[in-house]
Amino acid sequence: MPIFPNLNNSDELKALFYRLFVVIFICIGLSFLSEAFLTVNNLLNVLRQASLLFLMASGLTLVILTAGIDLSVGANVGMSACLAGTVLLATGSTTLGFLTGICCGALIGLANGLLVTLLRLPSFIATYGMLWILHGITYYFMAGATINGFSKSFRMIGSGYWFGIPVPIYMMLFFLISGSIFLRYTIFGQQIYALGANPVTARLSGVPVTRRLLLVYILSGITAGLASLVFLARLNSAEGDIGEALTLPAIAAVLIGGTSLFGGVGTMLGTLIGALILTLVLNGMNILSIDGNLQALVTGVIIIVSVLLDLILRRKSVV
Amino acid sequence: MKFKSKRIALLMMGLTLGIHGNVIAANEKIAVFTKNQTNPFFQAFRLGADSAAKQMGASTTHYIPTKPDSIPEQLSSIDDVVVKKPNGIVLIPVDYKAISPGVKKINEANITVVNATDRSEGGNFANFVGAHDYNTAFAAGTALVKALNGKGSVIIVEGVRGTITNTDRVRGFKNAIEKSPDIKLLASQPANYQRLQALQVMENLMQTYPKIDGVLAANDAMATGIAEALEGANRKALIVGINGSKEAVEAIRAGKMLASGDAAPFLQGCFATMSVIRAVRKMPVPKEIIFPAIVVEKATLANYDLPPEKQSCPTWESIVR
Repeated sequence: MPIFPNLNNSDELKALFYRLFVVIFICIGLSFLSEAFLTVNNLLNVLRQASLLFLMASGLTLVILTAGIDLSVGANVGMSACLAGTVLLATGSTTLGFLTGICCGALIGLANGLLVTLLRLPSFIATYGMLWILHGITYYFMAGATINGFSKSFRMIGSGYWFGIPVPIYMMLFFLISGSIFLRYTIFGQQIYALGANPVTARLSGVPVTRRLLLVYILSGITAGLASLVFLARLNSAEGDIGEALTLPAIAAVLIGGTSLFGGVGTMLGTLIGALILTLVLNGMNILSIDGNLQALVTGVIIIVSVLLDLILRRKSVV
Repeated sequence: MKFKSKRIALLMMGLTLGIHGNVIAANEKIAVFTKNQTNPFFQAFRLGADSAAKQMGASTTHYIPTKPDSIPEQLSSIDDVVVKKPNGIVLIPVDYKAISPGVKKINEANITVVNATDRSEGGNFANFVGAHDYNTAFAAGTALVKALNGKGSVIIVEGVRGTITNTDRVRGFKNAIEKSPDIKLLASQPANYQRLQALQVMENLMQTYPKIDGVLAANDAMATGIAEALEGANRKALIVGINGSKEAVEAIRAGKMLASGDAAPFLQGCFATMSVIRAVRKMPVPKEIIFPAIVVEKATLANYDLPPEKQSCPTWESIVR
C-alpha cells in the first residue's frame, strides 16, 4: 500500500474548520442584520437551495481531485432534464423518467471519460467540447420549447417533505456521507487522491488509472443527471439552457470548499461549505434587499474574502 | 458520369431560376438574425418570418448564435452573410450598441436591411419593426394593479441588470404601480431571467415578507419559477410575467399566473420579413411598425389557442394602413 499524503493530515481538517468558520461568521452577521434570517424555515430554505448545487458539485469534486475538470456538468443537467422530462410526460412513469435522467447523465460522463482516457484529450478540452455538443443536441431537440407539468409523485424528490424536512436535503446528506466515506475509507477513494497528487507514482504503484478516471467522470455525470431530476421536480419545467447558469457556481463551490485545481487535495464537506457560502450570499442579499446594481459586487467580494480569511487564519495558526 | 451531368443540370436550373428571379422579383433570399435558440420569443419570431416569406414567395435562412446572445458570433455571422449577398436581411441585434460595425458592413454592401425587436443605435435601415418593452411592461403592471384593486404589497423580480430590455421592463412595472398610492413596492431583486434563480429569490423574499400580494417578473420563465416557489410554501400571490409564451398561456389558463405582457413575437417576425421583401421589391414600407402592448389574461386567452407553429401571418394591409 502506498502512503497517501493527504490522509491523517491535520492540516486538511484545520482548513475545513476555517471554512466552516466563514459560514458561521456569515450566518452570525446575517442574523444581526435581519430577524428573518435565523429561523428554522429560512435555514431549511438555504439548505434546500444549496442541495441542488451540492449535488452537481459533489461529482465534480471527484473529477477535480484527479486534477481534471468537467465543464459539461451544466449542459449535462440541461440535456438530462429535457430528456427525462420528455420521457416523464410521454410515459407517465416516474421510474422510467428517473432512470432516463440518471442514464443520460452517466452516458455523458462515460463519453467524457473516454475522451480523456482513450483519446488522451485534456479534460478541459474534452468537456468543453462536450458542453457544445450537448447544447447543440438539446437546443435542436427542444427548438425553444419548454416542457412542464409533471406528476405529484415525481415532484416529491424536489419539492416534497419527509418529517418536515425537504427531500433534497436528505439527498444532500446522503451524498455528503457516502461521498466522504467513499473518499476517505475505500481503496477507490484513496486511489483517486493518489491519482490527482501524482499520476505517475499512482500508476507505478498499481492504481488502474484509466478505470479510475472513467469511474470519476461517470460519477460526475450521474450526479449531474440526478441534479437534473431534482431541478425538474423543483421547478416543474425545463428548457434547453437551464443548466448553463449552474456550471460556474458548481465549479466555484468545489474550489471555495478547498479542493485544489491541481488535484489530490479536497473533501466533500469542503464542497458542501462552498455550496453553502454561495447560497448564503444570495439568501442574504435578498433578505436584506440589497440594491440589484450592487449584488454582483457583493457576491464577488464575499467569495474572495471567504477564501482569503481561511488563508490568513491558516497562516496565523502555522506561526 | 451520370452524376456529373446531373450536377450540371442542377447548376443550370439554379442559373435559370436566378435569372427568372431577377425578372419577376421573386424567390428573394432573406437572412434572419435572432439572438438565441432557447427563448420561445425568438422561436415564434422565426416562425413568423418563415410564414411571411412563404406567403410572398421568398425564402429565409436563419442565423442564430450557438452560444445564446453571443455578440462576437452574431458579428462574425454578419461577415459571412455579407459575402453571400442575400437580397435582404432582418436583424435583431444581440446588443444595440455593439452591433454597429456589423450594420455598417451590411450598409456598405448595399443589402436591404430591416431592424427588428431591439432598436439598433445607428445605421441605415429600411424600417424598424417591434414593440416597446416599456409599454408591454406597463400594460402588464397595470393588469396587476387592476386585479389588486389598487391595494397591496408587490415585489419585482428583474432580469439581467444593466441590459436595456430589463431597464425598460422594470421602469414600465414601476410606473404602473406608482400610479396607485396604496400599492407598496417591497423589493426589486434581480434573478437574471433564470427560472431557478427566480424560484430561489422568491423563496428568500418570502422569508422576509409574510405577506406578498403581487409579483411582477421580467419574463415568463421567472414568473413560473415564482409560481412554484409560492405553491411550495402554500402561499398565494398574483403573478405577472412578460413574453406571452405558451407556458405562460397554460399557467394563466390554470390560474397559476394572472397575466403576461405579450410583445407579439410572431407578428414581429411576419412584418419584419414582409417589410424587407417589400423594400427589396421597391414597394412602400412605413418607417416604423410598432405593435401595441397586448396583455394575455383570462379574458384574452382565446386568441392564444393556436400555437405559433400552426399560425400564419395576417395580410400586410390588415395591420399597415
